[in-house]
Amino acid sequence: MVVILAISSAVIFYALRSAPGGPSGGGVLSPLSSQEIRQAYEKRLGLDQPIYTQYFIYLGHIANGDLGTSLVNGTPITELLKTHARNSLILGLTALLLSYLIAIPLGVLAAVKRNTWVDQLAMGGAILGMGIPNFWLALILVYFFSLRLGLLPSAGCCDPPQLIMPALVLAAEGTAVTMRMTRSSMLEHLRDDFVRALRAKGLPEWQVVIRHVLRNALIPVISLTGLRLGWLVGYALIVETIFRWPGVGYLLVDSVLRRDYPVAQFFSLLLILFVLLANWFADIAYGLANPRIRVA
Amino acid sequence: MADLTVLDEKAQWEAKVERLWTTRPSRWRDAWHELARNKLAVAGSLIVVFFTLVAIIGPVLAPYDYAKQVLSDVLLPPLSNGHLLGTDELGRDLLSRLLLGIRISMAVGLGTTAIALSVGTVAGMLAGYYRGWVDRIINGFVELVWGFPLILIAVLLIGAIGPGLTGVVIAVGFVNWAGFARIVRGEVFALREKEFVAAARALGKGDLEIMARHLLPNVVGSALVMGSYYIAIAIIAEAGLSFIGMGAQPPLPSLGQMISQGSGYMLLNHWLSTIPGFVIVLLVLGLNVLGDGLRDVLDPRLKGVS
Amino acid sequence: MDVVRDVSFQLNDGETLALVGESGCGKTLTALSVIRLLPDPPARITAGSVVLDGTDITGVPESTMRSLRGDTVSMVFQEPLTSLDPVFTIGDQIEEAITAHRKVNRREARDMAVEILKEVQIPSPRQRLDDYPHQMSGGMRQRVMIAMALVLDPKVLIADEPTTALDVTIQAQILELIRAEQERRQLAVLLITHNLAVVSQVADRVAVMYAGEIVEEAPASEIFANPRHPYTQGLLSSIPSAAGDSKHLYTIPGRVPDPRVLPPACLFAPRCPYVISRCWHDHPGLEASNGHLLRCWNPQPFIALKAVEPEVDRSVATSE
Repeated sequence: MVVILAISSAVIFYALRSAPGGPSGGGVLSPLSSQEIRQAYEKRLGLDQPIYTQYFIYLGHIANGDLGTSLVNGTPITELLKTHARNSLILGLTALLLSYLIAIPLGVLAAVKRNTWVDQLAMGGAILGMGIPNFWLALILVYFFSLRLGLLPSAGCCDPPQLIMPALVLAAEGTAVTMRMTRSSMLEHLRDDFVRALRAKGLPEWQVVIRHVLRNALIPVISLTGLRLGWLVGYALIVETIFRWPGVGYLLVDSVLRRDYPVAQFFSLLLILFVLLANWFADIAYGLANPRIRVA
Repeated sequence: MADLTVLDEKAQWEAKVERLWTTRPSRWRDAWHELARNKLAVAGSLIVVFFTLVAIIGPVLAPYDYAKQVLSDVLLPPLSNGHLLGTDELGRDLLSRLLLGIRISMAVGLGTTAIALSVGTVAGMLAGYYRGWVDRIINGFVELVWGFPLILIAVLLIGAIGPGLTGVVIAVGFVNWAGFARIVRGEVFALREKEFVAAARALGKGDLEIMARHLLPNVVGSALVMGSYYIAIAIIAEAGLSFIGMGAQPPLPSLGQMISQGSGYMLLNHWLSTIPGFVIVLLVLGLNVLGDGLRDVLDPRLKGVS
Repeated sequence: MDVVRDVSFQLNDGETLALVGESGCGKTLTALSVIRLLPDPPARITAGSVVLDGTDITGVPESTMRSLRGDTVSMVFQEPLTSLDPVFTIGDQIEEAITAHRKVNRREARDMAVEILKEVQIPSPRQRLDDYPHQMSGGMRQRVMIAMALVLDPKVLIADEPTTALDVTIQAQILELIRAEQERRQLAVLLITHNLAVVSQVADRVAVMYAGEIVEEAPASEIFANPRHPYTQGLLSSIPSAAGDSKHLYTIPGRVPDPRVLPPACLFAPRCPYVISRCWHDHPGLEASNGHLLRCWNPQPFIALKAVEPEVDRSVATSE
């Protein structure tokens, strides 16, 4: 994992710095500035040196705990880290929780009441959830709830009403996928032999389904969580941008568009690290959930 | 005498049993029929075919130049005179832009998926067939890339090479091949152990021939199912990236870009955003439903994978 | 489509009735219908009654049925690995069986579990409670299943092919265990099997099923000494015996009929060596004589049927 991080950081560093356009310094330089001013600026930032030298200087800074400062407004990145990471975590965890709370019961219900209207409705909802692009969903929601009905704020942070719509949009696709997975896993395990044996013991049906079948059925769903977290990071980039939710995603998109190197660099690495960790945790979680792997 | 009656009765009964066992049609024809019975899948495939046609000939038939700005006809609602879907804030005809947008989406979707499918299938096949260190290397890459959010990679890539469709295409292809590789590898793993592979080898057939003529046809079914889903993913990704400004640049009317541009006019002129949005939803829905149908028919094992 | 027709039998305390037949003859379905565990689509009970200790339990509400299952009538299944929930310890599963029917606290349930495991001769029972099913051997798992079935001292035990999935050496142990428990508790045991060797070891009475019907029923010794139905005779001839001709094994020619196309009268007619014209016209009923039930128009005395030089069926259906 460390190797991957090292390679990624080098690649990103190189890529960002060699991108066409150069830093516009967030307004310090306008596109019409003359060559001399541009060169002077770059010299001050140390951008005129060969890229690999820049890279090692950067590494040195990090080792000292200096993560750099934003080119746009001079805020130290450590500050940015604290506020924006916290915001993203709030949004992300809410969305994740929401999606599981909705998806799993629905999935169980759909499986138990297979082929009834409940099932069709749930599956229909899932297909929609997977098909609608989240930014469009966001627009529609904003249209109805903010513009038309004036019920919810359309942007900003950090009151609860402002959290509702972004969380819903972020959770949408994941909920649909989880629901489908739960349903199909349940259907599969409802056919297991032990279900018959459990009924032969005289257990009530709900206990058989919830305590036993669901527990078995959730194993693949849990292992999917790591993947879901990864995808969530991706979607967060878009959702945070739309709703102007000041999280890491918003920051990353913004900094890339504005060529704010230090910020873009650091936070992209952070996100990559996060995704890798998430996948790793998912493997562990799977092992915990499935005793056959755990004890072996 | 009694014996003859008995034999006669027996023969009659056996004839009845025979009639019960009809011949089995070939696997593909079976699949075709079953697919046709699934109304949802049929609807999905019709949608996909429709959009493909639109993508090919639509822009040619467009009534106006998609980039032409007619500032006197700004923000006309749909069904206005001469503009079936209205115009945008710069007076450009929405229908013409939409047609081109569809072409862009379909091209990106189909193009990237074709590449991802080819690369992924080859990689998966090699990894599954040869195992050993080949598998370790290839699978290492696959596992690494597979979990990664497409959008993150795309944003970073575009940060490096600048916004535009090229970045989107590369990013999408870069991530999606892993999905195909995974599935193909799994299948080849299982197929490899089956008798017909051993039989082919006993006949002296080379590795390449075995892979191409025996393993490939078996794997193609799952690949198609995945393909359908991945085209949808690619289309949504392209739209999303264009929406935040990283994909197609104006005046190119990517559907995502159109939605983004129209978002400022939601209150009074919502059709600028809702119509392209509907198009995407319809297309993606069609693809997903088609994928589901194909999956139900070709490979029930894939149920639960999305 | 009726898959099981006209099947009637009686179980007595302390007695083992073996229900014998090939796969697909309906014996498992019969057993499941006793405690109403038929998978409702696609199977259903359409006629008949189940009487327990003089009470008709056929139409009782599900909740009553549930209280009977595991407590008064227990069932043990064929494959112990898949019959146990893989994500729970066996201790949990036994305790669950207990607490479903008795108001005891956790510690009491645990003690009861240890007791019953001791009884089925599982070593170090208290430690074993924390094991998962996949950590135990097949024989031990089956003992656990039997323990779970007997922990609440039921009156009836239904065992569906309890030894089929086990090694031959373990089979004998398990059968011995069932035998011992039956004596100790005066259990009524319904044993389902296709294996006549098993039958000879534990059965008191035997009922032979074919294509959903009982075709012969008699005490075990009778069945082996004097089988009267051609099908039973065929089954007995198929057992390889150390004394007999070991070069050719006899098999009953033909196949079990597809329930969609049944023979018009006697279901065994197409395969019967003693078939007469009547067998294709009148369906034979179950007749009793000296406690020996038989469904046949033309029974013949039993001679161990010799293997005929097998005709190789050269018209093997070509695969596509």
